[in-house]
Amino acid sequence: MFISETIQYAISGITSGSIYAIVGICWSTVFLISGVLNFSTGEFVMLGGMLTWLFISWGFSLLPAIFFGVACTVIVAMLMERIVIRPVRYPSETTFLLITTAAGSVIRGIVLIACGSDTRHIEPFLGSSPIMIGDAVLLPQVIIVVSVLVLIAGGLVMFLDHTLFGKALRASSINQVGARLIGIKINRVRLFCFGLAGGMGAIAGIVIAPIEFTGYSVGLMEGLKGLVVALLGGWTIRGTVVAGLALGLLEGLGAGFISTGWKDALALFVMLTFLIIRTLDLTSIKKLVYRHE
Amino acid sequence: MNDRSFKTEISIAGFAVIIVLLPLIVKGNYFVSVMNLVAIYAVLAMGMGLLMGQAGLISLAHPAWFGLGAYISGILAARGILPAWATPFVSAVGVGIVAYVVGAPVLRLRSYYLACATLALLLITQIAAGQLSDLTGGHEGLLGIPVLTVFGFEFKKDLHFYYLSWALCLICYWFLANLLNSQVGRAIRSFNSSEIASASMGIDIAKYKRHAFVLTAIMAGLAGSVFCFYIRLAIPSSFEFPLLVTLMMMVVIGGIQDLHGALIGSLAVIWLGEFLRNYMKNFFTSMTSEVEAVFFGIIIIVVLIFMPDGLTGWINRIPSWGKRLYERKQTSNQ
Repeated sequence: MFISETIQYAISGITSGSIYAIVGICWSTVFLISGVLNFSTGEFVMLGGMLTWLFISWGFSLLPAIFFGVACTVIVAMLMERIVIRPVRYPSETTFLLITTAAGSVIRGIVLIACGSDTRHIEPFLGSSPIMIGDAVLLPQVIIVVSVLVLIAGGLVMFLDHTLFGKALRASSINQVGARLIGIKINRVRLFCFGLAGGMGAIAGIVIAPIEFTGYSVGLMEGLKGLVVALLGGWTIRGTVVAGLALGLLEGLGAGFISTGWKDALALFVMLTFLIIRTLDLTSIKKLVYRHE
Repeated sequence: MNDRSFKTEISIAGFAVIIVLLPLIVKGNYFVSVMNLVAIYAVLAMGMGLLMGQAGLISLAHPAWFGLGAYISGILAARGILPAWATPFVSAVGVGIVAYVVGAPVLRLRSYYLACATLALLLITQIAAGQLSDLTGGHEGLLGIPVLTVFGFEFKKDLHFYYLSWALCLICYWFLANLLNSQVGRAIRSFNSSEIASASMGIDIAKYKRHAFVLTAIMAGLAGSVFCFYIRLAIPSSFEFPLLVTLMMMVVIGGIQDLHGALIGSLAVIWLGEFLRNYMKNFFTSMTSEVEAVFFGIIIIVVLIFMPDGLTGWINRIPSWGKRLYERKQTSNQ
């Protein structure tokens, strides 16, 4: 009984952890290349789910609805870069923080006006007959979520390592001026990154929608947990995936065995602790440890 | 005699006279109750603007201090542990201690990381207020807060709170304006431009950051406890994420380089919000704070792109415009 419960919580943890990992990759794509911490990343997740639901309710079948949902989110993300981020005259962290938070609340409010405040639900892609592992229930949708994470992370690694444009992206994340000097069009790269982040966020929002309900307000928390994971993973793809799954597991087990209400606080607490520990000066401890060398 | 001019004091006194006279000129409870909110949010926005503009610290935790102040006052007064008039002082001390304990490690962080950490603080406070329902009344809010009574005088009407909250606001303004002109203020402004330079001048950066953080937190806590006696309710939704967007808008619209920017921003934003609510309710049946946030968000974006100095930037430029116009006239006359 205890074992199957644990497996159940672990499954739900890995599901949400995969989503956090994808969202975390979205944060780091934008942050590494443009230096903008995009506080409306979570809204892309929400937008993907809600738009797909909207297209399905207009009578599209599943695959076209997903396609249009992702395409619209990519367009929104690119528009955001073009009309909100790029024209800023004095680029500073404060300005970007304020302006992306504002853009996020605009997107959230527009969705609220257009779709209402009810929670929405998309039918599971592969039906809802569960696969049993002992007493634990594994929904087919969970397999889709995990495989989407593998596809996105793997695809991104392949893209960054083995294509010319991917190498250009990496170059501009290391040194923007240098990248511009060797002929990389920085503006186009930034636009592409926002689009990429929007698309990945939208896919995450779509695959999670059949398991957890989607609504206009899910973006804030999903986005923040993505940020937590991106921070913990040190802005790298592999680190983000590991951190995402770990945070998901921790949350799933914590919610199952301790309390559901505090679930969201747990992730934030982890972030706070991690950030504070990072600032600590560890040289004295290192000296103690390495004294004999 | 020292050579300091009493410019700030004179302008505050002038403003105070206007504030005292306004309810006599403009009749009606509606005006007074809106101006109440202006004063309370101005205290919050002043603190946030001071940290952002002068000290260069992005602190998003201000709504949390506001909520914490409201809850400490509300719980102590509603349980009858302390008389109502004493609770604001207790909540100021309490918020100060919490801000100091939390601020000491958190303020070691910089820029985005500080923003993330303070945002986490805000959301944790909010979740805690919802979850600790035995203590805080949960999501329905804390009920049964008594009428604020000071030496037998009962703060019952909106007008009473109007004077109370504006007194708080102007005292905070006076305090912060003096602080910025003092040695502490110069230290705070110096590490905005370069931390390394000011550290090499012998300024204890960590200490001054902590001072600024704790002081503005205490002010936010005081505003919160006045607010909780005003609406006689403490509820998590009164310091949620939309409040943060509203505060950001006040800071941005008013302009962050000057202290009175927050005051102007608060006036502009609250009245704009009231206008939107009255005018737009024909179009949108449910005019919640999140629908308002759409308009506010668009305004923040437009202001940040097209007039990054905010309204105070414009106001500060008026004298030079006038001068230029005058000089042009002079030259054309010759």
